[in-house]
Amino acid sequence: MDLKRRSLLKSAAMAAAGSLALSGKNTALPILAAENDLPGGDDLTWNKAPCRFCGTGCHVQVGVADGRVMAIAGDKAADVNKGLLCVKGYHVGGILYGQDRLTKPLLRKDGKLHEISWDQAIDTIAQRIMQAPERFAFYGSGQWTIPEGYAAQKFMKGGLGNNHIDPNARLCMASAVTGFLATYGVDEPAGCYADLDRCDVLITWGNNPAEMHPVLFSRVTDRRSRGEQVKIIDIGTRRTRTTDAASEYLEMKPHGDVAISLGIMHLLIANENYDKNFVKQHCNFRGAEADTPTLQGEAITEDEFRTRIAKYTPEHVEQLSGVPADKIRMLGDLFANRDIRITSLWCMGMNQHTMGTAINSLVHGVHLLSGHFGRPGDAPTSLTGQPSACGTVREVGTLAHALPGGRVVANAEHRQQSEAFWNLKPDSINPAPGYHTVKMFEQFTKATAAGGDIDTIFVQVTNPGQTLPNLNLLFESKKGLEDKFLIVSDVYPTATTELADLILPAAMWVEKNGMFGNSERRTQQWFKMVDPPGEARDDCWMTIAIAHRLFELGHAGMKDRDGQFIFAVKDDQGAEIPIWDFEHYYDTNVDKHLFEEYRQFTTMKHKNLAPYDVYVEARGLRWPVVEQQDGSWRETKFRFSGFDDPFVTQGQEFEFYHSTSGDGRAQIWFHEYAPPPEVPDDEFPFWLCTGRVLEHWHTGTMTRRLAPLNRAMPTAYVEMHADDALELNIRQGELVTIESRRGTAELPVWIDGRGRPARGSVFVPFFDETKLINNCTLEAHDPFSKQPDYKKCAVRITKLAKVTS
Amino acid sequence: MIWQRVTTIFLVCVICLAVVGYFVGLNHVGPNSLSEKSAGLPTDSSTPHGSHIVDDNGDALEHPKLIAAITYSEIPQAAMGPTDKFRAVAKSLPEQTSYDLFAEFKPSQADKEASGRIRASRRAYNGAPPIIPHAVQSTTDAACYACHSNGTQMAGLKASVMSHQFLANCTQCHASPPPTPFQNIDSEVATSFVGLPAPHEGRRAYPGAPPTIPHSQWMRENCLACHGGPNGWAGMESTHPWRTNCTQCHAPSAVLDQAIAADFIPMLPPLDVVNP
Repeated sequence: MDLKRRSLLKSAAMAAAGSLALSGKNTALPILAAENDLPGGDDLTWNKAPCRFCGTGCHVQVGVADGRVMAIAGDKAADVNKGLLCVKGYHVGGILYGQDRLTKPLLRKDGKLHEISWDQAIDTIAQRIMQAPERFAFYGSGQWTIPEGYAAQKFMKGGLGNNHIDPNARLCMASAVTGFLATYGVDEPAGCYADLDRCDVLITWGNNPAEMHPVLFSRVTDRRSRGEQVKIIDIGTRRTRTTDAASEYLEMKPHGDVAISLGIMHLLIANENYDKNFVKQHCNFRGAEADTPTLQGEAITEDEFRTRIAKYTPEHVEQLSGVPADKIRMLGDLFANRDIRITSLWCMGMNQHTMGTAINSLVHGVHLLSGHFGRPGDAPTSLTGQPSACGTVREVGTLAHALPGGRVVANAEHRQQSEAFWNLKPDSINPAPGYHTVKMFEQFTKATAAGGDIDTIFVQVTNPGQTLPNLNLLFESKKGLEDKFLIVSDVYPTATTELADLILPAAMWVEKNGMFGNSERRTQQWFKMVDPPGEARDDCWMTIAIAHRLFELGHAGMKDRDGQFIFAVKDDQGAEIPIWDFEHYYDTNVDKHLFEEYRQFTTMKHKNLAPYDVYVEARGLRWPVVEQQDGSWRETKFRFSGFDDPFVTQGQEFEFYHSTSGDGRAQIWFHEYAPPPEVPDDEFPFWLCTGRVLEHWHTGTMTRRLAPLNRAMPTAYVEMHADDALELNIRQGELVTIESRRGTAELPVWIDGRGRPARGSVFVPFFDETKLINNCTLEAHDPFSKQPDYKKCAVRITKLAKVTS
Repeated sequence: MIWQRVTTIFLVCVICLAVVGYFVGLNHVGPNSLSEKSAGLPTDSSTPHGSHIVDDNGDALEHPKLIAAITYSEIPQAAMGPTDKFRAVAKSLPEQTSYDLFAEFKPSQADKEASGRIRASRRAYNGAPPIIPHAVQSTTDAACYACHSNGTQMAGLKASVMSHQFLANCTQCHASPPPTPFQNIDSEVATSFVGLPAPHEGRRAYPGAPPTIPHSQWMRENCLACHGGPNGWAGMESTHPWRTNCTQCHAPSAVLDQAIAADFIPMLPPLDVVNP
């Protein structure tokens, strides 16, 4: 095997060198010649896996030869993508092979990194936790696999009795969660991607799916090129590739989405053309309490709702949002028409918002009030950006306040249920919620003497050194705090490993077993296909190994009620398999053991999952997955709709069976418009919006190591309106400084680039670790979801004194 | 004495006037002659602004020798292509070389290799969608489709034919070149990824047998996109483009199409023969 691989690499390198001479740096594909022994394709083995990148959850077929991933194909059997992929998905195989993969545990001593053994690394972590378990925090990710997240969750909340575990998804979809909870009493979308095949109108709310969820967007635009009529309405703060395909573009001021949704509801009420039947049977009205607003709010009458919303006339909404009153009326008429089907899509635009919970609830409200809900094609659908934001974070509940299966730590009954499933001693779980992301890093970067009560953070599968808002405050200020200890498990050097005290090399994607859960409630499974490089190991193994070292050190929490190790796995003879020893980790399928344990949690909120082996056979299944009389397992496409959801009472057309009001009804919320926390002024005259581009995924640690993608987008940039550039005397490609009250970043200007921002606003993608725009962003966050607003703050742009080109 | 001086000054003045008048007269285009020339001319319907008066050369009259300038910042939005004047006139096109379907065609080994190398330089592995190898002004589908729907040739360049049916978001799969302002940024990456190699040829069961298809057929439904037609890939053309049912003779690869059944499919059991 080793010899064969060496010969493969050698001949591949030779072939690559041959073609390099011809076409420069962009070549990638070796050429099969008679004299070399490269695999010709017939000896490839193909296996399914969900794509490593976004929340769409496309399935790819991974072609493996000689223990290496050599080719990728769209999976034709997958319902999500039907054989298509996007430019990231096609090149996903290359993410394993960047030449600077981390392969050894590294410990920082006197400012320098030293290679250490895994044993020493695990011991260092366990000793630190043992000293002060309550000062330890676990920072995870929506890229955790479901078993990884579940193990971390059980280790922290069950084992350590410590709730300081939060994921990067806090920065990504926390407001979507609170929006769903406030409206339906239970998280995640009711509809699914099949809505995209049926809708007559697609509304993108501050969303650019043409670049961020291209497989889903082209599913709609391809319908149009087949001759179907689909109207696309793009509501946004800048023109994007989505706008290019849109029938209508409504340019709004930042925070205008709140006013627009209120305006639509006002028109539906004022014109008496809302769906009275649907509202009478299935909805209540809800408003925030005056003194201390809660996520549940208080019931208000329909009359009260009418009174409160009366002032949001199209003209007033035009003032607040900048969208012409006529266009608000157009939207009102559209929603008043029950003969058409309307799907709304949103992602970070509505989630990274200081009114995130409010705007999410309001858009659900627009759909409920107009009755555009629950029929195929009529759906308010929130998209996610990470492959398992839904599966791991939202369902396993790896958030500071949550327990698996929609439970919360504050609820005594939920704690008892979790302790029972985990076979733990009573009161093992701490009832007080832990620190959410922003708070966690605040407490970590604050000196211990000043009250910073987190001194060790273990970061897995994410890159907070690049993605936290206001990096100078929340990350860089860790420098010089000697007693703070940052542990980072990752696959490549990142902005986060820059400040790490201990770096752990991780296995990634098809180098390990895994399960993801995508945006449409689909749970997906894959098997390990290739070995990780060097000493890189599974994140799930790291958690279990640390837990076992604590068990050996005598930590009481690592023992269950019967004195057994909390992650104990037994073989058929009842003997314990030492899965904490990596040599034996793959003696059994640890994922399967963890998943089967986790499954018990899922029925309370009717998010029923099938057994592990069912997912092995499927290209993912959408929960609730319910066993049929014949022993087969049936997935659910449309939740709360009587025709498809097995949990809706027989004979009911719709039932919101987790309603917060306990009467099977959804809540139509009223929220008052409030201006953004920071607005441009004379000193900082520009709006700054941050986001992504098609070619790069999140912090670019994977995609910037793929030749075709890095060629297509080699640098971050600041997108400017031509007139603004003219006024500031800035040329195309010129390097400028962006400065906010919190920090600065230097970026080249792309006048009227791929997107075209409105006058007075600029856009910067955040993928480039050499140009950290999050030095400038604001840590202000939504009061309920605690999700920061990366989409709007005030900056100024200045020309650099030095000329670089 | 004085009259001599006066005469000299007078003559100088006359000559000066004559010379100045001559050149002024040369430059001056009288209104009469112009209105005569433009009388009866039809208004140019291709001119976007109807207020223009156009002479028989198609030039706008107010500034006969000026082309309206735009600010550099407007360049990305400015309409490309021929001038209004050019567009207004019917043009005779060069005669197209007709494609002879039955011409004998035998690509050399060198042609095949060169062609394979160019294709390989644009893909990460056999089966990856090719990157866009040229600068692009617009990434809209219409812009791509204009050249790549049927392929085209111009000034020694060839736009290849789409090998799959029209899909509405080209850059979803085909990575674009770097944005214009960032062309010169070094985008090289250090990777040890080795893609599935570019195939030379399919396998033959015996010399003379039709070769198998050495790549997946997904998104390559149109064989002629590369293997035939006037805009096919140089060096990859079929030697028999008149035969149009390709898979009649060339077997696809079940492995590359990921069409391998999960379980081994057995043959029927052997015949139960009773020996006498």
